[in-house]
Amino acid sequence: VSIRLQLLIVALTTLVLPWAGCQYARELETALRSSQEQSLLASAGTIANALSAQPQRVFHDAGDTEGFSAGAGDLYVYPLVTQPLLDGYREDWDVPAEPTPLPTTTGYRARLQAGSTERFLYLFIQVDDTHFDAEPHNVRPDADRFDRVNLALDGPNGREAYFFGTDAPGLIAAQSVVKGEDGVDSVVAEPRIQAFWLQTAAGYHLEARIPLSFVGRHLWIEALDGRGKGKAGFAADSAAGGRLFFATAGLDALLESFIGDGTRATVIDANALKLGTAGTVVSKKHGEAEGSEPIWYRYFLDVDTSDMPTLSSAPDHLSGESVRSALEGHPHAQWVLGGSNREMLLMAAAPIVIEGQLHGAVVLQQASDQLLALRDRALSRLFNLTLIATAAAVIIMFAFATWISLRIGRLRDAADSAVGSDGRIQLSMPESASADEIGALSRGFERLLARLNEHAQYLRTLGGKLSHELRTPLTIVRSSLDNLESEGLRDDQRRYITRAREGTQRLQSILSALGAAARVEESIKQSERVNFDLRELLISAVAAYGDGFPGTHFVLQTPQDPCFARGAPDLMVQLLDKLIENAVDFCPKDGTVTVRLERVQTSYCLQVANDGPLIPEALMGRLFESLFEQRRGGDDKPHFGLGLYIVRLIAEFHGGTAVAANREDGSGVVFTITLPLI
Amino acid sequence: MAMVLGAEVADSAMIQPMKKQIAIVEDEPALRENYAAALARHGYAIKTYGNRRTAMQAFSTRLPDLAIIDISLEDEAEGGFDLCRDLRALSAELPIIFLTARDSELDAVSGLRLGADDFLTKDVSLPHLAARVAALFRRIDALRRPDNAAEIVRRGALAIDGEKMQTTWNGAPVTLSLTEFWIVHALAKNPGHVKNRQQLMDAANVVLDDNTITSHIKRVRRKFQQVDAAFDAIQTVYGMGYRWVE
Repeated sequence: VSIRLQLLIVALTTLVLPWAGCQYARELETALRSSQEQSLLASAGTIANALSAQPQRVFHDAGDTEGFSAGAGDLYVYPLVTQPLLDGYREDWDVPAEPTPLPTTTGYRARLQAGSTERFLYLFIQVDDTHFDAEPHNVRPDADRFDRVNLALDGPNGREAYFFGTDAPGLIAAQSVVKGEDGVDSVVAEPRIQAFWLQTAAGYHLEARIPLSFVGRHLWIEALDGRGKGKAGFAADSAAGGRLFFATAGLDALLESFIGDGTRATVIDANALKLGTAGTVVSKKHGEAEGSEPIWYRYFLDVDTSDMPTLSSAPDHLSGESVRSALEGHPHAQWVLGGSNREMLLMAAAPIVIEGQLHGAVVLQQASDQLLALRDRALSRLFNLTLIATAAAVIIMFAFATWISLRIGRLRDAADSAVGSDGRIQLSMPESASADEIGALSRGFERLLARLNEHAQYLRTLGGKLSHELRTPLTIVRSSLDNLESEGLRDDQRRYITRAREGTQRLQSILSALGAAARVEESIKQSERVNFDLRELLISAVAAYGDGFPGTHFVLQTPQDPCFARGAPDLMVQLLDKLIENAVDFCPKDGTVTVRLERVQTSYCLQVANDGPLIPEALMGRLFESLFEQRRGGDDKPHFGLGLYIVRLIAEFHGGTAVAANREDGSGVVFTITLPLI
Repeated sequence: MAMVLGAEVADSAMIQPMKKQIAIVEDEPALRENYAAALARHGYAIKTYGNRRTAMQAFSTRLPDLAIIDISLEDEAEGGFDLCRDLRALSAELPIIFLTARDSELDAVSGLRLGADDFLTKDVSLPHLAARVAALFRRIDALRRPDNAAEIVRRGALAIDGEKMQTTWNGAPVTLSLTEFWIVHALAKNPGHVKNRQQLMDAANVVLDDNTITSHIKRVRRKFQQVDAAFDAIQTVYGMGYRWVE
């Protein structure tokens, strides 16, 4: 695994930053929520206490706390914000709830809803009766049969009964049976109770308006079919009548004074029916703020809401654990999901206890407060920033790692090529000026190479030194032999002298080979560079080789025009001598040595090729080393490889290179010298 | 002619009883003795010295007829050069031969510049050495005789006196070492003929490697060019050798 990858992986650990941010955010949010719960609960308690001090402003009638029962005809009277128009439609009531069905035994279906303004009680009765039975003229309420709605109220003068019926749908008044002084019942209209009879496809609607002064605590209402097919509701003379549960007038305004922005306060009675409500949960603004942010990372940030209960939104009453708990006398706060976006709402309920008796509760609702919204925004920014920081860290680390790898790579490449194929040692390494560890490593390499170079230098000069040191004793031997010979010897003695002389000659040639490299290097140093015609030189030299090596065929291929090069022609001839010597050594008898010169782009390519054995692959790179002895020719001459070393030295002196290769068809070897053009 | 011959005989007869004295300054005793023995066999009186101090002491009282000097003498790496300089100060004519194991170009140049007549490596065989010594004595003798025009080889501007081993170019003397002289002689004797390195070595009575021949040729050219900048009579024939062109 490369350093780059390793550092990249290390850099990825900075992802823990946003993760930690998330964790922190969640904890913060939990803390904030809990503190919001506490404060809202405290508010609810405060309001409850304040309200319990003035029960008359809170409870319509503090007396009856019997359980609310819709089945028994109990009716919640919705507070109406605006005065509805008497038109048979209840849309202008602005009550989100559907009317309550009236009990029936006959399958005759009728539904009822009540509402009130400051002065009037409004009733809305919806009856499914497709056959309209009109009220006859001079009606006899007890005898005549027609579609009618009976209404009884326990007004200030006792139970008063009315009925609605009409011969023509439209605005009508309630009618009541009045016992005349003559004992005859007569039907009189009660113009203060107005209603609108609206015939519909399914039946009829009756929207009635009753002054509150007529209204007591109970209400009886019954719908009857004109053909006697059925009826629904409570007869006016039945004991059981629905109780009316009013919201408390003025309570809304009172509540308004308690609460702040973004909070909805609701006072409920012991039946959880709403007595008053004020304020709104500013969820719209909150929703917008949320919507404007990208959603994908909210996944990391949001509190898990899956186990939160959903807020039930009945218009007449409140429900939920908090409400239940408060109505049992224990304040309670809870997060619920509410609204169309299912956003989180905090609901806190505190019981209203008056003289030790539970009368109701104050319920406060609040959206996640502004702090939370702010936190959201701040955290979004934090999240964004940490992500950007992480990305930047990863990129920077990657770039840094790339840089380091590049430097190390450079160093590695330099180390790889420090000792060239020609044995020369490149002493300077890249990065050695850097102050860091890579620089130190580089300098370490340099020291190592310098030491290696000293050693190599020593080895290179060893031959010359040896040859020099051995020359004196050899001279002693040779001069002694010379002297011995001059003394006059017998023939048998002369034989040994001859052998000894041959031995010294061989020794001498070895020594001279050993010293040759140094001498060549020295003479190269002193060589002057002149311009010369390489082609002419080759023609002249190869002609001479033909005479010098009669057993070998020479072929010369050159361009037609002069090929000028710059350098030392003497050295070039020496180079050629060595190559030809080498080629002839390995060339079989009557084989061919080919000398070819051609221009290749910016250089001359001088090739000396010969038939004969191939160069083993293992030796290929080392042929041009000093004192490298491996190949052996046909004769017994020692091959110290110096010839090719000299070839290399001379090629390099001319700014060129020397390369050995086997012929592709395996028929021989090719030595190629590249020289720059001038 | 006869008179000349007589003079020659008389000359040699006069010298014969007085053996030529050769001083060998060489710190290697075995080698010193071998050289001494070989040269003594050729009829020279030999004095050997192991270091510069003893040699110089002896020379200050009596100069030898010829000195063979090694460059490094005992603890003096260049003691031979100093000795040569001192000797030259004592006598401008005394033939001096450097005979050394050092074969670097630089040493040869330094030695010859100090006025040595020849610079030999120890590869030289004893017969070759003797030949040189004889040649140098011959030159001394020739210098003491009147000019012998017959011995002078003329090739255009070049004049070579084979006896005195003197070379002139356009009449101006060109100072050559013995080896150089023989090389030039061999080349100029047959102008236009290519002499390869071996032939030149044989002519110079010396065993040298190719590079040394090359540097000898270079040095010769340079010496001629000091006299005549346009000198290019010695031509390189690549792969074969050199030839003299007129």
